[in-house]
Amino acid sequence: MQPEQDPVKRQIDYRHPLPVRVWHWANAAVLAVLLMTGLLIFDIHPHLYWGDEGHAGVPAFLSLSGTHLDRDVPQTELQVGNHRWDVTGILGSVIDDGFGGKYLLAAPAPADWQFGATRGWHFAFAWILGLSLPLYGLYLLGSGRLKKMLLPTRGDLELRSIANEFWQHLRLKRARGESARRYNLLQKVSYLSVIFVLIPTLVLSGLTMSNAITAAFPDLIALFGGRQSARSVHFLAAMLLVLFVLVHVFQVFVAGFFNLMRSMITGRFVVDREDSA
Amino acid sequence: MTDLITRRTLLGSFAAAGTLLAGCSRLDDKTPFRQLLDASDGFTMHAQRLILAKRPLVRELPPSQISATFPMNGTTMPQGDYYKRLLDDEFRDWKLRVHGLVDRPLALTLAQLQSLPARTQITMHNCDEGWSAVGQWTGVQLARLFALSGLRPNARYAVFHCLDKIDLDGKYYYESIDLQDALHPQTILAYGMNGKQLPIGYGAPLRLRVEMQIGYKNAKYVDRIEVVDRLDTIGKGRGGWWEDFDNAVWYAGQ
Repeated sequence: MQPEQDPVKRQIDYRHPLPVRVWHWANAAVLAVLLMTGLLIFDIHPHLYWGDEGHAGVPAFLSLSGTHLDRDVPQTELQVGNHRWDVTGILGSVIDDGFGGKYLLAAPAPADWQFGATRGWHFAFAWILGLSLPLYGLYLLGSGRLKKMLLPTRGDLELRSIANEFWQHLRLKRARGESARRYNLLQKVSYLSVIFVLIPTLVLSGLTMSNAITAAFPDLIALFGGRQSARSVHFLAAMLLVLFVLVHVFQVFVAGFFNLMRSMITGRFVVDREDSA
Repeated sequence: MTDLITRRTLLGSFAAAGTLLAGCSRLDDKTPFRQLLDASDGFTMHAQRLILAKRPLVRELPPSQISATFPMNGTTMPQGDYYKRLLDDEFRDWKLRVHGLVDRPLALTLAQLQSLPARTQITMHNCDEGWSAVGQWTGVQLARLFALSGLRPNARYAVFHCLDKIDLDGKYYYESIDLQDALHPQTILAYGMNGKQLPIGYGAPLRLRVEMQIGYKNAKYVDRIEVVDRLDTIGKGRGGWWEDFDNAVWYAGQ
């Protein structure tokens, strides 16, 4: 971050070098495709199991079931653990199974859906995610950005600082002046979690669903506690990532949409003056 | 043919009340997109072949893990007089043919197949829909059949032509794998399941178990095996029914 002074005494930081911006936007696009195709893959079997096996007749910890599939709006029930909710009209879409019967999806799919192609696209984009992640990790380490921007400082971890951080977040208060120039603790922890925990978990649990890869690396199955566990972890991690994106985008609006978008597009971040509040 | 019910569904017409999820569906018919998909699949295959250089086996599970019920997916009862006749005399007159780029074409009855050394394996079947079930499979290794038939130097793929018509327009199911998967020790033609004769719903008289790959590659009701040097003359040219009609990936090690 090299401070620059402009005529009206605004301070501008060069906050995001090119690799950061490229990875950010490439990831945003790739994750959008992976999320859409992933949801479609889930749609065809909306049940999550724990352990190795999992199929109709095996207890699921999350499951959508339906009756009266002959109706336009089927009677559907969402089960999570021991809880059951009537989700008729909210979840559930019925399609012909080609044998004169009906089949339940969680949500309507495109009319000309090719399931096989959906999987193909998912794998194609997973390659981009899987290959760019370690590269970005190396960049963060090699450039010093990890230490400079992402790792919490001693000051961040002081109890008073943490308490203050939560209080500012609860009030949705925008950081100004010096404190706006650096990521706060909650930001640091969420970015670190996404880059070093969540996305790696998605990649590894995805790989664990592969027969060939687990033949070469059988420990992957043990790591996730079974093949179906890996599938469930994959889904739940994806949902956590969606949650992160929602909060992330919300925060962008809270903290100044134009400035933050500019900084992620051009790299330049304008620091509000301390007294402009 | 593992996933017939659902996929047929998707091929059949249905009115989606409102499309919640946007897909990349029609894009695939345009050549550049399909090429991208194929390129990605080829990349996956080469990457996986690197990590499979030591020819590992997929894990084999203890009998206690055999699934109490095993989903009966895809075709569960082939239609037509021919299969009915085969059933009527319990496949006694039926013969598995191995032909194409082989030195000695084979025609083997079920009894002859069963007299060959057998391999029994308890493995997990992973359907591309997402579910997994464990079954015990008994059969003859494809490598053993190819040792009997011999392979011509230009042989590259094994194509499995099946007895069940899957298509709405009445095509027989077909699938293909390359010789590395075909010659893998766990790639068998199973005539037994969970200690009994292979039931009709699971592919009697004979089904492929290609454990390195996912459900739809494991063709049921195998009638003949054709050894070829290229796949573009088979079906619509992508090597399998789902590949041709649903743009599924051909190399399905995922």
